[in-house]
Amino acid sequence: MQSLLRNMATATLTALMSMSVLAADLTDVDAIVERANLASYYPGNDGRSEVRMTITDGQGREQQRQFTILRLNEEPGGRQHFYVAFSRPADVRDTVFMVTKNVARDDDRWLYLPSLDLVRRISAGDKRTSFVGSHFFYEDVSGRHPGEDTHVLLETTDTHYLIESHPKDTSTADFHHYRVNINKQHFLPEKIEYMDASGAVYRTVEALDIQDVEGFPTVMRSRVQDLRSGGQTVMEFGFVAYNLGLPVEVFSERSLRRQPRDWLRRPQ
Amino acid sequence: MLRDRLVSLSINHPRWVFVSFLLFAILAAVQIPAIQVDTDPENMLPHDQPDRVYHEEVKARFGMHDMIVVGIVNETHPAGIYNPDSLTTLHQLSEAILSLEGVIRQDQMALNLVDNITQEGLGTIRFNWMMAQPPENQAEADAIREAVERLPLLQNTLVSGDHQAAGIYVPITHKSESYRLSQEIQAIIDTFDSQDRFYMAGLPVAEDTFGVEMFIQMAISAPLAGLMIFVLMWVFFRSFVLITAPMIVAMGTVIITMGLLIGQGYTVHIMSSMIPIFLMPIAVVDSVHILSEFSDRYKPGEKPRQALQEVLGHLFTPMLFTSITSAIGFASLAFTPIPPVQIFGLHVAFGILLAFLLTVTFVPAYIMSLSDKRLAQLKDHSLQEDDNSRLGRALSLTGKLSVKSAKPLLAIFMAVILLSAWGVSQIQINDNPVRWFKSDHSLRVADRVMNSHFSGTYDAFLVFEKNLSQPPHAQLTTELTRILQENQATAEQQLALQEMLSEAENNDFDRFTSDLGALLDQASYLDLDNETLWLDLLDEVERIQVEVKYFLSPEILDYMDRLMQTLQQSEDVGKVNGLPTLVKTVFRELNAGDDTHYRLPDSARGVAQTLLSFQSSHRPDDLWKMVTPDYLSSLLWFQLSSGDNQDVSRVMQQVADYMAEHPLPDGVSAHWAGMSYINVVWQEQMVNGMLNSLMGAFLMVLVMMIVLFRSIKIGLLAMLPLSITILFIYGLIGWIGKDYDMPIAVLSALTLGLSVDFAIHFLERARAIYRATGSWPATVDEVYKGPSRAISRNAIVIAIGFTPLLLAPLVPYITVGFFLATIMAVSALVTIVILPAVIQQIKDKDRLFGGQQEA
Repeated sequence: MQSLLRNMATATLTALMSMSVLAADLTDVDAIVERANLASYYPGNDGRSEVRMTITDGQGREQQRQFTILRLNEEPGGRQHFYVAFSRPADVRDTVFMVTKNVARDDDRWLYLPSLDLVRRISAGDKRTSFVGSHFFYEDVSGRHPGEDTHVLLETTDTHYLIESHPKDTSTADFHHYRVNINKQHFLPEKIEYMDASGAVYRTVEALDIQDVEGFPTVMRSRVQDLRSGGQTVMEFGFVAYNLGLPVEVFSERSLRRQPRDWLRRPQ
Repeated sequence: MLRDRLVSLSINHPRWVFVSFLLFAILAAVQIPAIQVDTDPENMLPHDQPDRVYHEEVKARFGMHDMIVVGIVNETHPAGIYNPDSLTTLHQLSEAILSLEGVIRQDQMALNLVDNITQEGLGTIRFNWMMAQPPENQAEADAIREAVERLPLLQNTLVSGDHQAAGIYVPITHKSESYRLSQEIQAIIDTFDSQDRFYMAGLPVAEDTFGVEMFIQMAISAPLAGLMIFVLMWVFFRSFVLITAPMIVAMGTVIITMGLLIGQGYTVHIMSSMIPIFLMPIAVVDSVHILSEFSDRYKPGEKPRQALQEVLGHLFTPMLFTSITSAIGFASLAFTPIPPVQIFGLHVAFGILLAFLLTVTFVPAYIMSLSDKRLAQLKDHSLQEDDNSRLGRALSLTGKLSVKSAKPLLAIFMAVILLSAWGVSQIQINDNPVRWFKSDHSLRVADRVMNSHFSGTYDAFLVFEKNLSQPPHAQLTTELTRILQENQATAEQQLALQEMLSEAENNDFDRFTSDLGALLDQASYLDLDNETLWLDLLDEVERIQVEVKYFLSPEILDYMDRLMQTLQQSEDVGKVNGLPTLVKTVFRELNAGDDTHYRLPDSARGVAQTLLSFQSSHRPDDLWKMVTPDYLSSLLWFQLSSGDNQDVSRVMQQVADYMAEHPLPDGVSAHWAGMSYINVVWQEQMVNGMLNSLMGAFLMVLVMMIVLFRSIKIGLLAMLPLSITILFIYGLIGWIGKDYDMPIAVLSALTLGLSVDFAIHFLERARAIYRATGSWPATVDEVYKGPSRAISRNAIVIAIGFTPLLLAPLVPYITVGFFLATIMAVSALVTIVILPAVIQQIKDKDRLFGGQQEA
């Protein structure tokens, strides 16, 4: 079993490396950012994964959250739906967070709290708030629109593109700018560093483990570190599957109260 | 004998004495630059004191830091602080403070850094920054006001209820940074052209500022005290040759004692910083005795050796006794369980004994090394024994009066004693470190202004804890095994559960149950035949997982909520913040902001989901300031407008009364923490400790008096004047309503040791004269010439020696200076007035004084 995995990994690696040799460097920064956006948030037509989130505060105290994410693209890089259903801890079981990411207008966001029997729309407002108490922001989960920032290609190395991005609307950003290190082979950002006005890095988002799943390079483990408080959150993804044929009805307001169990259930 | 050896050493080998004195002084002096000032009121308690350990633990548990509170006040604009200019200033200031070194920026609290939850159309809630950008017009400023007023956690904490003041709460990495940071914040404020007024408060600033001013007082008051004594001695003796020796003894004593204290690694606390001022007057007194008596006996042209030996032979024992009694008075402070007070007491005691040692070695050596010409000069300036001086005449009159009107005098004193006793019963034990500053100090002003607008800037924390009857892991295993047995599970299934339990093994119960839940969930899919069994187990795991997070349960939240609402009615409580407030506020906003929903959800899961919504904000970690992530401990933050420990104690009593009437749920305990509480603890300890010190010193000094006079009666008589003095002074404090605070408390024990000197001298001489004359009136007459004058002069030296303290910028120094001077003056007066009057009433004076003896 172990050797099989290793063989698969080696094969994947070889394939990826040969691709990189063939691929010519991109010079258009917006094109790079667009491809990174697609690689990060749009693989397949749809997808499902189970997430175990470990939130560690500055004192090393941990909290766990487990949830399942269903995602459906209406078109690559375009309108997109997310359905996040919590399973653990038990006291937030069946809490649902749902987003429809729109292109030309603000996202639609819903929250369902089962024990209060409440469905609430969350105002578009600020997407850089904590995702359920973790160090990830809502925007990290559903993606920041590339058009919100101006991008500059700082450096192209053998393996990576280093891009610096400045927000167009400074009033909605908690950062002054950020730098993304994008892997040239699969275009997944491997490290994002957020800087304050003095240029000091205060927050990082990293892809710690990237694997090939059904032909899609997939982040299996990612981490946010808050360098100010010393806290961090790690997300571990499991049971990832693509192109399940999710119907769009799964992402309707009705399925907040009546969860699409068939789609949420782990495939046998 | 020790005396002879010491004396012959100093007479025969003055050089050795000089060299070793100098060596010790240098050794001590090199320690002094390592001085470390300590102004932390927490250090009033030993490091391992349980309340202090708990306070520290609570601070870590809830991630609390020391805070500087910056207040912005606008009392002129009709909208108060809610106007575009003031809010812009606040925004700029808060942003600028964020980037200062030593500020824990993610925990800073101000209008621009907190979240607002609002309604946006039907069924839509909005989480956004309260003031991401400063408002551009009055309407926007009004909108901020309305938002703040809807959020109970912010109202009266970030902005005052009268709208006139707003606060920036600046958490800092360490207290010792607060003075620097407050200066830097002031520098930012100075760049603003603003109509608003700015104030800085908070205990760390008070402490750190106090430390800085303590240095100033040590650098000014101590040399001033030295100068004062120098001038005073010049007035009495008019000879530099004569007064050089006492000054050197005093300086040496101070340098060696402070060097010893610092060299041992002790920090210099407010009490210890007063050591030089205490030692200087005490140290000069004995040398003055030696010098003046030497100059009486010494005949020019003779060798000084003979006269010196006579003088020292005669003075050694009384000086030793008075030094020991004074030292006992200070050393008795070691009975008070407050480390800074103990260190102060023991070091002054050491200093007094050192001063004695220096006096009997250095002063003779000094005299031996003087040239004949100098010695002759000394003679010219001998102490004036003038019975016709103003002091002399007044004393003589006093003596006649006290004997003639003994009965009325005693009646007056009895009345004074009774009134004083009543006064003592009125004493208010009260202290507040902020009051260590003078009333017009900027920190006191800030304290008054901030507390008049806000609910209060003094914090006390009531910490609730759920004590689990057994570790949750064990409880869970027992429950799961029970379910398996009820379902007559197979050995295979039991083994499977055992495997799951060990696979999910984790110290953290929440994670353990989550992992175990996942495994049981999986088992229910894989083993469809026994699906119900696995799901039953899963239900049980999740039930216990929720149950263990006790502070999500409506039971305890409701208890805390009611407690808060009751205490909120109290005049002494400005505001109480707690988890129930947060839950109720978020629950209301989740329910369309409808005020009828300003209540707690009905279930623990409801609370958990409400909190999950709160955590989807910009500051999710603010939750952990109120409850721990395992939900086993939560706190209520009491904002009090007074840090006086009387007021804090009253609030504690109100909480205790509430809990007596409404017992805490099973397994829940509540304890206090926070600086205001720590102050209460050490002040209680101080009062009890001081009583021990006072009793201890009283008994020891009494025993010494009995031994010295070899008479119980005279021993008791010797204690009389100082007892009356202490009673009178404390009665006076009760009468005028001055709070009994730390400096006042410390005074009691140490004055006992100082003022007994007067009685010793008085009774010693009275007995000797009576034995010589056999006549009481003749004794009185004689005593009121020499001895009373010496007593008065010593009292004046010591009393005036302490007066530089009155110029100190800090209140405790002024208090000590004023009361010590008063005590010295009063006890000298009482000694020379009351002792003759009392002795007058004793019929058998022969028995009292041991009969007439050959002169």
